[in-house]
Amino acid sequence: MIDLIKKLTELDGTSGDEGDIREFIVSQISPFCEYSIDPLGNIIAFKKGKRKPAKKIMLDAHMDEVGLIITSVTKDGFLRFKTLGGINTSALMFRAVTINGKINGVISGKPIHLTSGDESKKMPAADSLYIDIGASSLEEAEGMVSVGDRAVMKSDFTVCEDKIISKALDDRVGCAILIKLIKEYDEFDFTAVFSVQEEIGLRGAKVASFDVSPDAAIVIEGTTAADISGVPKEKSVCNLSGGAVVSFMDNATVYDREFYSAALSSGIRVQPKRAVAGGNNSGAIHLSKEGVRTIAISVPCRYIHSSNSVADKRDIDASYELCKYMIEYIANDK
Amino acid sequence: MDIKKILCELTSATGIGNIREATDKAVNLFKPFCEISYTDNLGIMARIAGESDYTLAVEAHIDQIGFIVTDIDDDGFLTVSSCGGIDLRMLPSRPVIIHSEKEVRGVFCSTPPHLSEKDAEYDKISDFKIDTALGGSAKDIIKLGDYVTFASGIYDLAGDRICSKSLDDRAGVAVLIELASRFADKKPPVNLVFCLSDMEEIGLRGAKTSAFDISPDEAIAIDVSFADGPDIPESDCGKLSGGPMIGISPVLDRAISNKLIKIAKEKGIPYQLEVMGRSTGTDADIISVTKSGVKTALVSIPLRNMHSDCEIISLSDVSSVCDLLENYIKAVK
Repeated sequence: MIDLIKKLTELDGTSGDEGDIREFIVSQISPFCEYSIDPLGNIIAFKKGKRKPAKKIMLDAHMDEVGLIITSVTKDGFLRFKTLGGINTSALMFRAVTINGKINGVISGKPIHLTSGDESKKMPAADSLYIDIGASSLEEAEGMVSVGDRAVMKSDFTVCEDKIISKALDDRVGCAILIKLIKEYDEFDFTAVFSVQEEIGLRGAKVASFDVSPDAAIVIEGTTAADISGVPKEKSVCNLSGGAVVSFMDNATVYDREFYSAALSSGIRVQPKRAVAGGNNSGAIHLSKEGVRTIAISVPCRYIHSSNSVADKRDIDASYELCKYMIEYIANDK
Repeated sequence: MDIKKILCELTSATGIGNIREATDKAVNLFKPFCEISYTDNLGIMARIAGESDYTLAVEAHIDQIGFIVTDIDDDGFLTVSSCGGIDLRMLPSRPVIIHSEKEVRGVFCSTPPHLSEKDAEYDKISDFKIDTALGGSAKDIIKLGDYVTFASGIYDLAGDRICSKSLDDRAGVAVLIELASRFADKKPPVNLVFCLSDMEEIGLRGAKTSAFDISPDEAIAIDVSFADGPDIPESDCGKLSGGPMIGISPVLDRAISNKLIKIAKEKGIPYQLEVMGRSTGTDADIISVTKSGVKTALVSIPLRNMHSDCEIISLSDVSSVCDLLENYIKAVK
């Protein structure tokens, strides 16, 4: 699993540009399932199990990650950009990036030594930052990149005992869990969707759930763990190493209460999400057609949407186990 | 020598406090060309004997910016103090290495997305904790006083530009090693002492004792200085790939600066002037007031994103600094 997550996070795939992730996932799952790719680029994979479930089950994980899109090139060869998905400005300051998977650059701004007064104590506006690719002119820069190209903050995938530090854990951990399920789980039929464009508004899952038309859905995600120094406990959302996270409600979904309760009493290491915050593909899926009963299973991630988010292997394993448990719970229509 | 290769070696090594990997690496690189001597923990000197008694010290600092652990809490979060000028705004979610008995990876805490970072004040380093994700066992592994450095690597940019941590001042160290290699086979007209000082970033300390020890007739400090960027006034910076920045300041010896300019012109070496109205903020300030005083100059390599873990330099600037210094040394007396 760790090796799979490493390979998945080392690929770059911002919203609308998930091609490399899709290609890798297809290479992993194609011997084990039937799959198709829809017009937006979602992978819709059907895994035949030993039995047909009482209800049609769809699992979802999104392929895209947050990143940047190049909007213009200055006369001196610096690149201006906009963010794709929500990224703290502090996560942009002086970060090395990869553009188009091959060109190196650095998000730069005014060095602190040259700031004046209170400027040094305040985060600069995100639109004052720019990418330096080392080009010395507009012409040199335009020979290397084009407006509309994508950039992703570099990270060095690190495993430290049970912890993983990497970019894009949201939601490549979900992709890895789905791949493993397709490879190893065969009790009941299920449909796995690897969706596009989650970070810019749950767009891929909207069309995929229309297409699949499931009775029930399991969304596998990364969620904010704010159990860090300086954040009061009531705002900590969930705990790293505390197990798989299930939500009763977030900003996009009121979750199926029966599924939520079933997950909590599964006997697997599970924690409730202690906040109504954020949102994920459930928001699109649970409102598809006549409505779909939905549960979100999340892996706690500290510093989510930064190039150094932190997750715990044991939480990922618990999330995988909980997925299997919920498939069987739904399949047996308990 | 291959300057980029030297820089890869030097920037990947750590040089802060008692961690002296970078010094060891530099010593190995100097060894084929020089006789090495140490001062008590504050620096090293690589010497090449010349044809006269006159001694020229060429100096760069070997230390890098970083942090030192001042508190470890029960949940595995570290409070640190900074060693050198740190831009606090770049810390959240920045990866670091904690140099304990065993190296530990950590990440500076950042404001979670459901809590706003808009009004955050970037004022006190004690507000920025390092997450070790080790929980209660952090106290068994990490000790107070352990050093912490940035964890980034080195990357190629367009043309001959590269990006890495610690180019301030390993780029200067690379210049010294390259110069040593250029004079290894030909006796220089004067004694050369290549001096690597420690503790520049916490207040120009190593250069103080090194310069006292060497007691040179003149000295040239090689450091880095601000290169251009979109929001940086031209008067405050040099141009990346614009060549060595020759310092002019009341604390520097104008005659040496003028001679450097003259040689750059004669030899067709690109150069630019960095004019400062006061002291330079580099080791040149302290070297010049050693003992009865030392005539001192400053040559800087233009660098972007100073004190971040992705500083940018142009390799052509490094070789031009080497060319300028080589020609200066040949003509010094």
